[in-house]
Amino acid sequence: MTTRNTAPEIFPLQKINFVVPHTFDITPTVKLYWMQSVPDETTRIELHFDAGTIRGERKIAGFVNALLLSGTKDKTSTQIHEELDSLGAFIDHEIAQEIAIVSLYCLRENVESAVNILLDAIENADFPENEVSDMLREKKQNFLVSSEKVGVLVRRAFQKQLFSNSVNYSRQLELSDLDDVSIAEMKRFHKEFYLQGLRKVVVVGNLAPDYIDRLIDAVGAWSKPGNCEFEGDFVNKPGRIHIDKPGAVQTAIRMGIPLFNKTHVDFLDFQVLQTIFGDYFGSRLMSNIREDKGYTYGIGSGVAESSKAGYFIIATEVGKAVTEETLKEIRHEMDVLKNEAVPQEELDLVKNYLLGQILKSADGPNAMMDLYMAAQLHGKDFGYYNEAISHIQQIDQERIMELAKKYLNWENFSIVTAGEKE
Amino acid sequence: MIHFERFTLGNGLKVIFHKDETTPLAVVNTLYDVGARDEDAEKTGFAHLFEHLMFGGSVNIPDFDAPLQLAGGESNAFTSNDITNYYDVLPAQNIETALWLESDRMLSLAFTPKSLETQRSVVIEEFRQRYLNQPYGDVWLKLRPLAYHTHPYQWATIGKEISHIEDAKMEDVKAFFARFYNPSNAILCIAGNFELDYVKTVVNKWYGDIPSGIKPARILPAEPEQTEFREQTIESKVPSDAFYYAFKMPERKSADYYIADILSDALGRDKSSRLYIAIQKEQKLVTEIGAYITGSLDNGLLVISGKLSPDVTFEQLDEALWKVLDEVKATAVPQEELDRLKNKIRTAKAFQEQGLLNRAMNLTYFELLGDADGINQEALLYAGITPDHMQKTARSILNKTNCSLLKVKAIQS
Repeated sequence: MTTRNTAPEIFPLQKINFVVPHTFDITPTVKLYWMQSVPDETTRIELHFDAGTIRGERKIAGFVNALLLSGTKDKTSTQIHEELDSLGAFIDHEIAQEIAIVSLYCLRENVESAVNILLDAIENADFPENEVSDMLREKKQNFLVSSEKVGVLVRRAFQKQLFSNSVNYSRQLELSDLDDVSIAEMKRFHKEFYLQGLRKVVVVGNLAPDYIDRLIDAVGAWSKPGNCEFEGDFVNKPGRIHIDKPGAVQTAIRMGIPLFNKTHVDFLDFQVLQTIFGDYFGSRLMSNIREDKGYTYGIGSGVAESSKAGYFIIATEVGKAVTEETLKEIRHEMDVLKNEAVPQEELDLVKNYLLGQILKSADGPNAMMDLYMAAQLHGKDFGYYNEAISHIQQIDQERIMELAKKYLNWENFSIVTAGEKE
Repeated sequence: MIHFERFTLGNGLKVIFHKDETTPLAVVNTLYDVGARDEDAEKTGFAHLFEHLMFGGSVNIPDFDAPLQLAGGESNAFTSNDITNYYDVLPAQNIETALWLESDRMLSLAFTPKSLETQRSVVIEEFRQRYLNQPYGDVWLKLRPLAYHTHPYQWATIGKEISHIEDAKMEDVKAFFARFYNPSNAILCIAGNFELDYVKTVVNKWYGDIPSGIKPARILPAEPEQTEFREQTIESKVPSDAFYYAFKMPERKSADYYIADILSDALGRDKSSRLYIAIQKEQKLVTEIGAYITGSLDNGLLVISGKLSPDVTFEQLDEALWKVLDEVKATAVPQEELDRLKNKIRTAKAFQEQGLLNRAMNLTYFELLGDADGINQEALLYAGITPDHMQKTARSILNKTNCSLLKVKAIQS
């Protein structure tokens, strides 16, 4: 008979076999990272540009990003997409505050042709008038639709509260931005932040080494001269604001404080604390607010990092009648962590869970590359994760409480709610 | 090529084993052959509510998640109209923890009345968050009953209405478990760097003594062939008018399923697709348009949906849309265009198969369809599709009498 009432033995994490990508200098500050060891035919190539939403005057970074493949003097947008689709290639262009990334996903056999089409489209992007007006029409529609979502309203307002001392980081798209866009301004932006804005290239694929050399030659001229400038030292506006959304049956809550990134001495230990608090399915917030009270489908916390800083957030959407109770419970969970030692059993569970997460985030060449790049962004390498593993293994109850007292102080948080006023 | 081994336990549990020597992780994926289509029309949303309760403790284990997290793993699940699928991902050396947890909840659940109350609230909040508090969030609650009059696809997995979830009783929940959660109604997939003998040993150890149960017979009311165009307009406080053209399409096991899939790509997957180019790019009647299939096991839907540009009427859109559809029916898609669509499918499949969890889920799903090796046959099925196939399928599907149209008319908030 199998004994079902005792758990099987648990074996500790074995050593993680990190695979370090090859690094090539395109210039002294711009590098190409290549993960060659891929057991299948897939290839992913990413071009990282210093063309995030903090760049340029007003809100045009997102427009330029959206129009990268919208046509050249020789090809229409449709021609470019047909050519890429014929090669079975998928293109993503995404934009964040500090970075714009263009990604190409395709099979090995088509990489060279697909990259040529992609690079030509970016290099010679011409911003045709009809494409610009299509883009603005679509953006306007998307803006109006997303403005109906409490989750979006709360995020926009929260960014303003969190980055209150930075014009560039707090800036949000406004409807009026879509009415007055100059093509000349977009062209200037494209030239400055794309054609002279390449920050790095990431390649995951079992390609021939001489192709990597050719890729470097092909994109080298776009390299960003010198270093990128980023802001840090953000100051938030603490306290509560509400965005009214009549008719909403749920209220979105978003709250947070400016924090730090991997370079800070408390970063790793804070990760353990915030995991206990809100960053896994069994967290304090989930156990209390979802699994005990049933106020929400989900609640979580997380740390977002930027080049010179970071921030800590808590986010959820709850039944509108329980908004105040939810805030009360979030505050209560902060207080408990500040005043009562985390039970050893719970701490051990979170440690093992986090170690399992590191193992998972190193599984497969694409995940391995992402893990490496997350460290590299802050001047670190895989040694950082070995350091993380030992931090996690060593952290004790006192340290958790010390960090809770240092960082989980309700009066410092910017708190934003969006929904129907009670 | 995805390799696998297959064996069946004495109690009827089907097991697929997929070996991957490169990963330090293991996946334990469990598919129960039950979905929202198996629900009583007066007790909808049950399969999904039940999925939540499966995390509320089993006969010998008070909490599902904590022991798994202690073993460095994590777990989740999803419910569709066809199936309920549970998965665990954890360090390979701790795979027995997942087998212990999964087998215990297959053996017998032990959730409390409090757990039922909480999950009822959680699911109601999920209903609100996903379906009621999003612009256009309720569309599928309206489109399904328009397209299906007798088949249970007429309701969404979340349920027809909140009251069904509010009214769920403990005895209903227990009966549901007894009926559907048995070895004979489940398929298990183990993936990771193991030997087959070891997998057989541990699976037998944890699952071998669970009573087989009886695989429930599935007799669903068949949806009669649609013979008339259906149309419904709803008013909603949304920023722009939206449209959903839903065409009945062949069931999952039909060879024509794959043709309908590529046909939907030809119409509206990418920026080189026909609807996008004609209606969005050239005529500027819409600000977004796309085509996709629901992927259902029984007869599914090929859906064309999008949002109208300001000052464009539904009639203008309708005329332009049928022109594009009539063209696909009148003239075979050129080989070059078909090759383009197939190339994208090849790339997408290669990326999907990179993930261990994806492979495990797909093997399990194909085993439900009849043979896990179907995962390896799919590429050939797509490759064999010809322009002629496309034209035939277009002619049989893209007809007005096979179409249900839902229009969302924007009204001022």
